[in-house]
Amino acid sequence: MMIPLLILTLVSLLCSSLAFDLKGRVVWNEICPGIGDLGQAKVVLDNGNLYGSVTRNGQFVIPEVPSGTYILSVVAHDHAFERLRIDVLDTDTLPEVRPYVPGTPLSPPSPVTLPYPITLIPRARYDYYTPQESFNLVGMFQNPMMLLMLGTGVLMLAMPYIMKNMDPEVLQEFKERQAKITDIQSSIQNGDLKTGLSAMMGGEEKTSPAPAPKPQASAARNRGKNKRR
Amino acid sequence: MLTIVRFLWASFAIWTAYALHPSEAGVVDWHKALLGVPLTRPDFHRTTGAHGATRSVVLTATSNNVIGAVHPENGTVAWRYLFEDRDPVVGYKAYNDRLATLSGPGGATFRILDVNSGHLLHELHLHSADSGRLFEPVNLGVAIAFDDSDKSKDTFVLTNGHTLRRINGKSGDIVWGWTSPDQTSLVVYSKVVTTSDAIYLIGLAKSFASYTVHVSAISPDNGELLSDADVPSSIINGPQGLIVVSHEGTRGKSVRLAWLEQARIHSVALTPQLKDKPTIKKGSAYLQVHDIGLQEKGLFVATKEDGSGRVIRFSEDGALKVFWEFADSVKSPKYTESTYAGGLDKDGWPYIARVYWSHVFRQASAHVLAPHLAEGKGLVTGFTFPFETQKHGIIANVAVDAANPEEFRVLSRLVLTTTTGAVQLWQQDQHQWTREESLADIRVAEMVELPEPQLVASQVGIEETESFGARLRRQLADAQDFPQYAINFAKRFATGSYASASSSIAPASNDTSPLSRDTFGFRKIIVAATSHGKVFGIDSANGEIIWSRVFGLGWAAEVGGRIFPLKIFTTRTVSDGDTPQVVIVGQRKADNSLVDTVAFHIDALTGEDVSGTSIGQDILQGQDVIAGALVEAYLFQDGPTKYVVLLDEYLQVHLFPDTPENADSFHKVAPSIHLPLRTGTAGSHRLGGHKVSPEKEFTGRHIAYPIWTASLPPNEDVRSIVTRPHEPVASLGKVLGNRTTLYKYLNPGVVVVLTSTSTPSGPATSCGVYVIDGTKGTILYHANLPAAGGVCDVKAAFTENWLVYHYYDDGSANADQAKSYRMVSLEFYEGSGVDDKTSSSDLSAYSNDTTRISVYEQSYVFPRGISTITTTSTKFGITVKDILVAGNNHQVQSFPRRFLDPRRPNRKPTAEEQEEWLIQYDPLLPDDPKRVLSHRYQVARIRKIITSPALLESTSLVFGYGVDLFFTRVAPSKTFDVLNENFNKAQLVLTVAGLALAIVITKPMVRRKRLRERWYAS
Repeated sequence: MMIPLLILTLVSLLCSSLAFDLKGRVVWNEICPGIGDLGQAKVVLDNGNLYGSVTRNGQFVIPEVPSGTYILSVVAHDHAFERLRIDVLDTDTLPEVRPYVPGTPLSPPSPVTLPYPITLIPRARYDYYTPQESFNLVGMFQNPMMLLMLGTGVLMLAMPYIMKNMDPEVLQEFKERQAKITDIQSSIQNGDLKTGLSAMMGGEEKTSPAPAPKPQASAARNRGKNKRR
Repeated sequence: MLTIVRFLWASFAIWTAYALHPSEAGVVDWHKALLGVPLTRPDFHRTTGAHGATRSVVLTATSNNVIGAVHPENGTVAWRYLFEDRDPVVGYKAYNDRLATLSGPGGATFRILDVNSGHLLHELHLHSADSGRLFEPVNLGVAIAFDDSDKSKDTFVLTNGHTLRRINGKSGDIVWGWTSPDQTSLVVYSKVVTTSDAIYLIGLAKSFASYTVHVSAISPDNGELLSDADVPSSIINGPQGLIVVSHEGTRGKSVRLAWLEQARIHSVALTPQLKDKPTIKKGSAYLQVHDIGLQEKGLFVATKEDGSGRVIRFSEDGALKVFWEFADSVKSPKYTESTYAGGLDKDGWPYIARVYWSHVFRQASAHVLAPHLAEGKGLVTGFTFPFETQKHGIIANVAVDAANPEEFRVLSRLVLTTTTGAVQLWQQDQHQWTREESLADIRVAEMVELPEPQLVASQVGIEETESFGARLRRQLADAQDFPQYAINFAKRFATGSYASASSSIAPASNDTSPLSRDTFGFRKIIVAATSHGKVFGIDSANGEIIWSRVFGLGWAAEVGGRIFPLKIFTTRTVSDGDTPQVVIVGQRKADNSLVDTVAFHIDALTGEDVSGTSIGQDILQGQDVIAGALVEAYLFQDGPTKYVVLLDEYLQVHLFPDTPENADSFHKVAPSIHLPLRTGTAGSHRLGGHKVSPEKEFTGRHIAYPIWTASLPPNEDVRSIVTRPHEPVASLGKVLGNRTTLYKYLNPGVVVVLTSTSTPSGPATSCGVYVIDGTKGTILYHANLPAAGGVCDVKAAFTENWLVYHYYDDGSANADQAKSYRMVSLEFYEGSGVDDKTSSSDLSAYSNDTTRISVYEQSYVFPRGISTITTTSTKFGITVKDILVAGNNHQVQSFPRRFLDPRRPNRKPTAEEQEEWLIQYDPLLPDDPKRVLSHRYQVARIRKIITSPALLESTSLVFGYGVDLFFTRVAPSKTFDVLNENFNKAQLVLTVAGLALAIVITKPMVRRKRLRERWYAS
């Protein structure tokens, strides 16, 4: 009785050293709750000559893997999985499982080893679509361009009144600045970027203390009012 | 400033990912899920749900190596399970809620699927593919039987012809295994029958000139051999003549084995001791026994020598008795031989259907026998149904499902499979649905442009003669559509509902107007020829079949044969001024092993035969062009005339259509033709360049003669030649950031050659990619690639001066190199560098400058394996070309050229390079799900993708076929030539209205101001 058993173990040893059945499972999570979501998927080594299909409870077996180094990946339609490096050894020990980053060299192997049997976790569900922008009136007016335009419109309407109430000095300054701006605009339109830019720079330098005259303007308005009386 | 920003923003938008909006899915694209042509008889399978409700599916295993289930109500696919190519299905069986399958050589892999959802429950590897025994037919030596004695759901699986295993239904583990002790014996088992006492393995042992039945009884509990016996018999036909009938009686299940021997039905009872002696059924002589799937109910059909069919029943007393003889089933010239099928109703009562085609009535007839009705005497219900034989060929297989709502009323459903690959369901004489499964086996396809919509101008020409009254009436009649037009115009103006690049182009379902193209030319007709002898015209708008024709076999109709389409050419397009025409060149393999090349000339819009040899909508007759095999076929264009040039095995030139004008035209161009050809036999194909003789030989034909042979090693096999598609090239060069130009190498004779090097009769050791000047055989580029797993699986796409190829690098060349799929991108430019122009596109073939090229090359890590690769194509070739691939995860994905640019710098790009939109080299190609064109569709096993330009320059039409069909349109540089879908017309209208309002408000103000200024001029 003993001898056949011994032979059997020997034979099984021999078999396992020649080829190994790689086992593992896909862990269902909220990204992929079950086989219904995953669909028909398989776990492949290298370019798919060796593979095992994922069953309903997530398990897979890749049969008869000869010793060697393999890259394990999951072929699934909608889900992304990490890739693993599997070293099936000649000796009768369990294979080594390591994380693998695509595009990196195989040696030296990563120092991190993962437990065997292999566990694969769905990392992401592919999102194929980009949301469509839809028209909405509030959104349209929240657009900075639109706000700018509205602001200009209001300013344009209000301009005569503001100008009327302005101090002649400030008015003079304002007119100068406006002339400069039209200058820049025309130069940009003419394609003469350089002068336009330099004018802008120059203009900016001058207009940088712009916030300062604000109280002045209010004061001017008061004065103007007085004048009118 | 603003304009610059806007420009930058717009150009950036070109490069941002083109992706589908959720609302466009299913509108701009369609997907037809197919199973493939059923190999065997489909089966109705009924399962009982938790609340006693039954649901049924039609199960089938197909030639595309798919097992699938179809809803019988509407013909849609319930589920399907795709098997790998190296893992062919050899057997399947459904029982209750599960389906067991065996696949691979000798049944190497066993799987259990859920029959309602198709989910894989267990997968078990039984033996290695190498140790699998190959049988002919493949389903010999494998069998599946379920343990119906208890609720264990265990399965008994016979594989390799001599190994039986019991597999636990819950865990999927092997309970026990039994292997025939004497494997070298000539016994090959092919059937498994289960009873509670024993498992019977029934096989045939080869003896002189015939087979002997051999039966082994095995204990179901521990797999021990109970008994083993040779049954005295002599069978000539093989195992298909073996029938095992069983009967569930009061004393348990009794089983009897029956077979046909010397025109008599012999049978023997199977008991665990195998002591019974065979008995011979007296009476009529039989020709054939038919397994109709009702063996478990003790029923089978035997046909007598005169052709009449008899139902034979295994009766209570253990004898085989003739239960019924179908009336008028004697062989007759008035109708075809009958096909028999069995089915069960929802209470488990058996029904037997007999289906035949009547030549007299030009209709199919079905007789359904219900043996349990009419107090057990049997009741036959008959009906005829209008099966269209000229459209679907001949009925190949039948499956039946029946219901018995009232005592003398039987309603039946028939599933028919036909020789052209159609699957139909008929409910009595009502046609319910048809699935054209041969579309899963398209060999060649082409997209053909449609004509513009015809404006109705019926009254042109009659205006001069018609009277005033008539004219008034006509004009009033015409004018009654005016309000509708006005409303439409206003609506269109206000809402901006123009033809948009992302809207559906499908015609309304009740649309009866003739086929015409849409505004942007997105709608085309796809002419697709299958290897099941049928050609289809498919509407690219929605995938509906517009027309279909069955190929005629010509003289081979007498002996039988098949037509394999090889090439398709559009010989006349809409721009040539008439209806478009296509020519399909196919090879006809007659059953007497003669091979001919035939051409079918079809009107692409209607499927009508242009040559006029076919009558009406009957079978499409072709024209025999070459009495022999075809080497290569090309489309030649000479001004407006297009014709097909075919080369036979002796390299003689044949023209189709063979008119004197075409012959003249060919005679003129013949001296300037250079043809690189792949010749030779399997495994040792060579590549050679050929010229065509300027004058006709004595045979009356031009002949191609070799001028060069590629100097490849003798063990290097030329696998395929990839040529450039005939497309316009928009620019001859590429202007770089520093205002210099790289001129594209556009030598029209260049071909890409894929090779494999192998040791004699061994696997491939390396693969090769060559770029060869086809006119003189100069090798311009050569790469040696590893042959992963001994197979060369290099895929290449070649357009303009850009070559992209894909392969698997197994890291064998270098120990630390990563294993991965690679995509290599190459560009060929003229001369030695920038501003070196040699005008390669117009250069003489003998100029030395044709080999003066510079090559830019870069290799990228590709995320997955692919089954096919192609580039997009547009009308003028201005739009950037994307690479389209069909991945092994059943997706069609596009990869932008920008990432595959071989000139991506290996450092941070300089300002000049940035100006060219070059980005830094990164070995990893990004796998962007937003660029998956097929999005959530499972587009199974696409074998080929064809692209075709639309009228819009920005858009390319994409059609992929394999198991499934998939159509979409892509805009690699976004739809720059139409208003953006997101263009906010409301905003524009509102802004304009606002400005108008502002003018209205400010105008009086300004006028008042002016007036005041005049009065108070200071």
